[in-house]
Amino acid sequence: MKILIFACKWCGLIGADGAGKKRIQLPTQFRVIPVECAALVEPDAVIRAFASGMTGVAVLGCHLGGCRFNHANHAAIKRLELLKTLLDATGIGGKRLLISFGTAHEDHQYAEVVKTFFDELEAMPSTAAWIS
Amino acid sequence: MLEKIKNIARTILSEKQADGVLGLIKGQWDIIQPHIFESPVEVDALVIEPKWLLAKMAMTVLRSSREGYRLAVVVRGCDERALTELVKRNQIEKERLVTLGIACTAEQAQACICDRPYPQKLDCGEAVAGVDTLSVESVKELLAGDGPERMEKWANILKRCIKCYGCRNSCPICVCVPCKLEDQVWVETGVIPAEVLSYHLIRALHLSDTCVACGACQEACPVNIPLMALQMSMREMLRETYGYEAGLDPDRKSPILYDLCKEPAAGQALPDWVNSLRKDDES
Repeated sequence: MKILIFACKWCGLIGADGAGKKRIQLPTQFRVIPVECAALVEPDAVIRAFASGMTGVAVLGCHLGGCRFNHANHAAIKRLELLKTLLDATGIGGKRLLISFGTAHEDHQYAEVVKTFFDELEAMPSTAAWIS
Repeated sequence: MLEKIKNIARTILSEKQADGVLGLIKGQWDIIQPHIFESPVEVDALVIEPKWLLAKMAMTVLRSSREGYRLAVVVRGCDERALTELVKRNQIEKERLVTLGIACTAEQAQACICDRPYPQKLDCGEAVAGVDTLSVESVKELLAGDGPERMEKWANILKRCIKCYGCRNSCPICVCVPCKLEDQVWVETGVIPAEVLSYHLIRALHLSDTCVACGACQEACPVNIPLMALQMSMREMLRETYGYEAGLDPDRKSPILYDLCKEPAAGQALPDWVNSLRKDDES
């Protein structure tokens, strides 16, 4: 089980940082990639992450309307929703992609999001059929 | 129908509405091939069958011809939509393009799984109703089953890929230079079969909001991968949530390029705080 988290520098990353400082117990199989804005996460990058064997990918951004770059995350949410449709159609499952905006600014919130996502992924079948 | 289209083509050429008409010609040894008719006399050899997508060809011709050269194109529904998309993406100048629309027959629509087998500017032929794409048996079968079952099905299908890039090259709307599919960062080069996930999903996603469902990718595929079925669910999603269909309205840009306030999803009520930053541009 491997999870990749794209965390926006202004929200998700602050939450991740705080969770670390507070020593909140979290599952360990995830890596965080800081990005300037959630809109910089191309859907292609998410696909690439799945192709390189990630079980799940999370994109954490600021809440809608609270983006540093005006409406950038509005466009991001639309693009990623479209990707979810494609993932569903091919059977990978849109649930493997977590799009969460404005839910991980605080350390305990971040921990909660990551834990829930882990539990969800644990119940899902493996993607081994794709990666071989 | 053929006579009528020939007459229109002759009129266009004699009245100098366009400098050339791009269509199919039945030439020597009865070989059918695309051709640019430049004088009304030539037009006698014009044919309209079989289906041949001319949009990408029209783009190439317009790019390489002299400035101000106007081209008329014999188009079907899918061709017209593709041309509209190309105009929207600044690949073709709108003023240099004239279309001559012909409608497909019901059988052709069935064979192509086409939901709109007629152009919006219909010059001859009767528009027939399209088929409902997602209720066709072959598509249903591909999209049926739960997650793992469908994943296995698609993985097996896509593993047939020999990475000929036919789907990309034949697509009338794939025009990016450089292409991500040739980039080592995104898709590992020199590996067959292609990395199923990155190659196919990146290609499908790039076309998600521009796919006009012409079926050129599927026809070009030497190993019969049902590539259209990948696009259908995304097209359906765009139609349902934003009421958007690629290639219909030349003035409407794809909703995924906009924010939620400008192009909200159907029936979506945005909370006030989403709109708070826009107060000054609305007043």
